[in-house]
Amino acid sequence: MGAEGPRLPTAAERRRPPVIGPGHTFATVTDKISTIVLTRPTTPGWLAGFLVSFSLMMLLFYAIGYLLLEGVGVWGINIPVGWGFAIVNFVWWIGIGHAGTLISAILLLLNQKWRTSINRFAEAMTLFAVASAGLFPLLHLGRPGLFYWLLPYPSTMGVWPQFRSPLVWDVFAVSTYFTVSLLFWFVGLIPDLATLRDRAETRAARILYGILAMGWRGSAMHWHRYQTAYLLLAGLAAPLVVSVHTVVSLDFAVGIIPGWHSTIFPPYFVAGAIYSGFAMVLTLAIPLRAAYGLEDFITMRHLENMAKVMLATGLIVAYGYAMELFMAWYSGNTYEGFTAWNRIVGPYWPAYWALILCNVVIPQLLWFKRVRTKVPVLFVLSLTVNLGMWLERFVIVVTSLHRDFLPSSWGMYTATRWDWAVFVGSMGLFLTLLFLFIRFLPMISIFEMRELVSETEAGSSD
Amino acid sequence: MIEPAAYMPGPEMNRLQWRALWIGVAVLGVCILGAFRSPAQFFHSYLLAFLFWTGMALGCLAIAMLHHLTGGSWGMVIRRLLESGSRTLPLMALLFVPLFFGRHWIYSWTRPMNLPRQQLEYLDVRFFLTRAVLYFVVWLALAHWLGKWSHEQDRTGDRRLLRKMQWLSGPGLVLYGLTGTFAAVDWMMSLEPRWYSSIFGLLIIGGQVLSAMAFVIVVLVLLTAYQPLGRVLQPRHMHNLGKLLLAFVMVWAYLSFSQLLIMWSGNLPEEIPWYLHRLEGGWRWVGVLLILFHFALPFFLLLSRDLKRTGPKLALLAMLVVVMRMVDLFWLTAPEFSPGRFHIHWMDIAAPVGMGGVWLAVFAWHLKTRPLLPVGDPYLAVVLEGEHE
Amino acid sequence: MLMGRTKPPIYGLLAEFDTPARLVAAAERARKEGYRCMDAYAPYPVEGLAEALKFHHTRVPLITLIGGIVGGLAGYFMQYWIAAINYPLNIGGRPLHSWPAFIPVTFELTILGAALSAVLGMLGLNGLPMPYHPVFHVPRFALASRDRFFLCVEATDPKFDRQTTQRFLESLDSRGVFEVPH
Repeated sequence: MGAEGPRLPTAAERRRPPVIGPGHTFATVTDKISTIVLTRPTTPGWLAGFLVSFSLMMLLFYAIGYLLLEGVGVWGINIPVGWGFAIVNFVWWIGIGHAGTLISAILLLLNQKWRTSINRFAEAMTLFAVASAGLFPLLHLGRPGLFYWLLPYPSTMGVWPQFRSPLVWDVFAVSTYFTVSLLFWFVGLIPDLATLRDRAETRAARILYGILAMGWRGSAMHWHRYQTAYLLLAGLAAPLVVSVHTVVSLDFAVGIIPGWHSTIFPPYFVAGAIYSGFAMVLTLAIPLRAAYGLEDFITMRHLENMAKVMLATGLIVAYGYAMELFMAWYSGNTYEGFTAWNRIVGPYWPAYWALILCNVVIPQLLWFKRVRTKVPVLFVLSLTVNLGMWLERFVIVVTSLHRDFLPSSWGMYTATRWDWAVFVGSMGLFLTLLFLFIRFLPMISIFEMRELVSETEAGSSD
Repeated sequence: MIEPAAYMPGPEMNRLQWRALWIGVAVLGVCILGAFRSPAQFFHSYLLAFLFWTGMALGCLAIAMLHHLTGGSWGMVIRRLLESGSRTLPLMALLFVPLFFGRHWIYSWTRPMNLPRQQLEYLDVRFFLTRAVLYFVVWLALAHWLGKWSHEQDRTGDRRLLRKMQWLSGPGLVLYGLTGTFAAVDWMMSLEPRWYSSIFGLLIIGGQVLSAMAFVIVVLVLLTAYQPLGRVLQPRHMHNLGKLLLAFVMVWAYLSFSQLLIMWSGNLPEEIPWYLHRLEGGWRWVGVLLILFHFALPFFLLLSRDLKRTGPKLALLAMLVVVMRMVDLFWLTAPEFSPGRFHIHWMDIAAPVGMGGVWLAVFAWHLKTRPLLPVGDPYLAVVLEGEHE
Repeated sequence: MLMGRTKPPIYGLLAEFDTPARLVAAAERARKEGYRCMDAYAPYPVEGLAEALKFHHTRVPLITLIGGIVGGLAGYFMQYWIAAINYPLNIGGRPLHSWPAFIPVTFELTILGAALSAVLGMLGLNGLPMPYHPVFHVPRFALASRDRFFLCVEATDPKFDRQTTQRFLESLDSRGVFEVPH
């Protein structure tokens, strides 16, 4: 406009680190990211990490094998605590997945350029986390081979799923979520697969990436439709991700178990999911950027922004805890009051207090810029939040169940070694997939980095 | 520094202020006459008006703080409107006084009642008043400091003021979340003692933010008919605001449906009566109206890029949202006074309109004293030049 | 291929540019010159390129909308039919047609339908997967996925002439013009 505007503040003045290091061109971003996949030899570090993850995955398969032979009795679940580790881990993993979708979809819609260098790998994290999550309800069925009974198909028995049950909603929510995440991730990968195809050095790699790239040639018309479809997918994925954790929360809230039947559950579960998801992105991104020298792409600004998102969602989670406690008191409902009190001072009090410490108290450090910009501190904080969010699900699942309405039906729950084996093993599955992804696919979206370069070259301010 | 005088509102703001004031005072006067005929009805309608306009002011405050934290051009063009909206809070504090004196006509718990011990402790008149005073102190302080610093920024363009506002907005939003929630419990949830819902605070806060967003869109589009905003605003500004309106409409629908689904599924005797009161005897049709015009119609229309970029169309839709916010608050409060039988009184419309006139007068009075854009903000130039969306 | 015409001896001519701005300018010039059968290739979605080539409308949003509506309606009526008509069952005294409980699955299937339509629609309209395309014969074209920008004028264009088009493309500040065989 015509007004004699003030000089625009420069990046240095604004004291905000840029989203991409200086001096990069189309060629350098392409080469730097694609060589990690194409030419860089397998490093001992990668190999060691992969081997550890792979052995943990073997542990998972072993534990699953034993479980299938013996039945779910090898786990610690009992009556009244029918939902043990399996549901805790399911909710934990699926929550972790949510940050990936959030980063790629919602930040894309909000036009947040800083998402570009972390979205691909966050999306991969989503896929692998959802894969790990999906395992648990299937195993918890007791007879996983009959999982297809959950789907509406015209069976000879003439019965159908019960659509008033949130457990059936879950089947639809999680499978839709996995499908849409896969589509989103794959669509995002197509142009980069074409880059790998064109730069591959071996014939096998060229053929493999060529098949996956589906003949992408970067035609202007294709890009035009591609961008439209990508934005539409983002627009669809954003409400989807909210709905998925809402349905997970409804698994609890729709029933009338004290401590579960609470209307705050949907928004508070969604916030918790984003909270743990961002914590996991930090947990993975911090070592990755160090190992692959990606400090130019995953800058301090990314880490700080993620820390801010963690702080905000963590506060919503804390609000959820506060509302649960307040309403348990205000309602004057004996059962609600007892459940809340039992969480705080009952047999599982250490878990409750540890979760408050990890999720509410310690993360308040993130208010300080000095904490948000110290990488090692952030790393420790992200681990704390991961732990805290796992404990939260443990407390919700176990404390509400172990004290039934009838004191004669009270019981305790202790995880067995098979519970732990499956849990730790699921981390192995997740990490194995992640290591393979880092090795064989570009972990940062190359074409979107080129877009970012084109904008910085044009002298645009952000 | 951008020349502040170039962005001062014209004489039309003065006209708006006085017209709104006269209409407001006249309509409120008629309502007070009505109060002599049926004081109970007067206070029921007064509560509706008070909740609506307090919510509007608080929503403005919340969006302003959100903008300070996140930045972005969307907030720069509405910041002055938000600040003027939040600076009407002293008026609302004043208007709380009649509400307090009319509490016997509104809240059943002010009479002896068989309630759980905890509710008797919480819903105690003195405690109720103390809390209300506390809420207003917090809100007035936030609105005051943010308004003051923003004003200083206009004059000096000092960069530190930006940091200060940012610094206050984080804790400010936390405080708003807590006070807004408990105010919702005190003033609305307690209309039906025994009933409780842990999502209720968020639901009301979401509604307040939505009201404020819709309201500032309407005002902004009206102002584009005049200078200086007429030459500054571009379709992309409206586009961004339209996107946010869509998001807030979806949040409102999400929170409302979550509560409904959980309570409907649980079907517990301490929860479901609240919905039965709102779904029987004609109230159901108000609910249907909400689904259609508070959610479905705005949602589908706002999906259109063209509509979001066309100021007048967007403003018309935002106007609908503002009206539906009122209907929503009516549906949340009025059935308590007439459960199972639909009932609407002329004062249910007159009281919000009258109070709205006075509110708008104060809003316009604040608005006309400062430039319509935050001229001292270092990012304003970026917004005006519009290098990026 | 256009009907009634013999197949042109080559696919077209490909000009290489080293900045996106040059490509957009070249596309605009070629359009003004009267060329219609053209395509531009870039390593990322270049702003203004589709406009320069007059590609405005895409049917992807419409396809997505239809997919979403079909998914949502099918989801809702499936539940209604199962719960209220085919196998009516009293569950905790809830009505057979429990509309609040049917919303979550309806929502999920709306999203699923829309997302599948968006991706398949985009791929379908783009004609992907396409195992073979002549532009890949030009060795330099491998850089279209790295840092180079290409404009291809196809031989099917009525204005196409092997010599004049080549001269025209060379005049556009290009780094080189290559023949694209079939």
